[in-house]
Amino acid sequence: MKKAAILFLFSILWIGLSAQAIDEDLLKVKNRLDSIVSFSTQLKLEVDISFINMPVKKAQMFYTKGKKVKFSSDDFVMLPKRGLDFSLNSLLEYSFITVDRGMEQRNGRSYKAINIIPTDKRADFSIATILIDTKLRRVMESEINTKKDGAYLLTFLYNSDAKVLPDKVTVNFEIEKIRIPINFMGKDTQLDRKKMKAAGTKTGAIYLTMSNYQIKSVLYNRYL
Amino acid sequence: MQYLLKAEIRKLFKQSKTYYALGALFSIELLILFSAYYQGTTIIDLLLENLKQKFYFEGTLLNGNLLIYLILNTLWFHLPLILMIIVSGTLTSEYKDRTLQTIMLQPVSKWKFILSKYIVAIAFTLMVVALLAISSFGLSYAFFGKGDLVVYLNGLNFFDATDAIKRLQWSFVSGALSMVFFSVASLTIAILFKEATKTWIVSAFFLILSNILLKVDFGDNWFNQLFFAKLNDTWQYFFYYTINWQQIIFNSVLSLIYCMLFMGAGIYWFHKKDIG
Repeated sequence: MKKAAILFLFSILWIGLSAQAIDEDLLKVKNRLDSIVSFSTQLKLEVDISFINMPVKKAQMFYTKGKKVKFSSDDFVMLPKRGLDFSLNSLLEYSFITVDRGMEQRNGRSYKAINIIPTDKRADFSIATILIDTKLRRVMESEINTKKDGAYLLTFLYNSDAKVLPDKVTVNFEIEKIRIPINFMGKDTQLDRKKMKAAGTKTGAIYLTMSNYQIKSVLYNRYL
Repeated sequence: MQYLLKAEIRKLFKQSKTYYALGALFSIELLILFSAYYQGTTIIDLLLENLKQKFYFEGTLLNGNLLIYLILNTLWFHLPLILMIIVSGTLTSEYKDRTLQTIMLQPVSKWKFILSKYIVAIAFTLMVVALLAISSFGLSYAFFGKGDLVVYLNGLNFFDATDAIKRLQWSFVSGALSMVFFSVASLTIAILFKEATKTWIVSAFFLILSNILLKVDFGDNWFNQLFFAKLNDTWQYFFYYTINWQQIIFNSVLSLIYCMLFMGAGIYWFHKKDIG
């Protein structure tokens, strides 16, 4: 009886511990990304929001491990708050647990779905679901539910199997329609309350195309 | 005709009130420029408020191009008011000083005389708009530099710096046509009322009425399309993301027709009326 009780307690603890263990495939991807010391790339940004008309913009992106990503541009550019953190640092910054959600299909291929649930209150998201290509050790999609800025769906595209940094990223998000006071800036800008209420929240997307990557890594480039 | 034009130009530039008016215009422009700089910060904050939740911004929108756009928004009310005073003054002062009677005693055709006044008024208006455009671009770029322009018209429209410059230049050209209309109208009003104060009051009333009627929506019908007051913001059409050239050309041709009608009516009345 005593043995059975100890065995039961041990199995309960084992289940609890295994549930809080960090997914190995996620760690592999993270380790691969962490091997990048720094990189710079040319960004092309296309905004697709119903109430915004903006020409295609270009910017330069600079990443150094452990530092905030920097951007430079001659033009005015709008950069999404999510979607440009290729290192996964913003998701894995504070303590978290992962939950294996099995395999999911995208464009005829199977990817491992993992939930990342932060256990530290400082994290700015409540839950994230990421799809990982376990064979090529890279992130294919992530859905992040932030605490303040709503949900983001990021889709990553790679030009070759060897790459760990994406060549195209699509960022989908929800955004409230802009509200402008009566007769503000230009003609025909009277406040139409009925129209505004009907408009509500809109979905938007931003398409990022990266080119001319300059990567410094502790690994050979062929592993990146 | 050539001598009449020369004489009119000389009279216009000899009167001190022309320089007072030009001085007032450039002072207003400077004032608008610096108030626009402070207004610009609020405008950008307001326009980008919703977007701040989702985006980081790189670069600045508070630049010379935004300031020129804000100048244009304010200028098209102050400028015609001063232009109307100067232009109508070229005729009312002749009635007041009785120089008109002296001229008419010479072998001068009445219609040629008044036509020369209209031509000089148009040329002067175009010159003032050109000077204001040059100074607006010069001062704005010198103090605040170039950059992308953001305008709220049926949504948020962002324009590259080079595209914005072209659009701003075109809007000055379009705005000049509206200014010509008000100058021509004020000269016609001067023919009708002769006396300076009455002419200025009626001209100011005409301008204010035009501005009020511009804001009134008469619905989607021919009147809304053809009414002269509705043509005065044609310059804004250059700030829609896709420029509707067909509408702009239509509005510009219509503005020219209104100018010709006001001018024709003025020449007719001047020809018919007794000088006295």
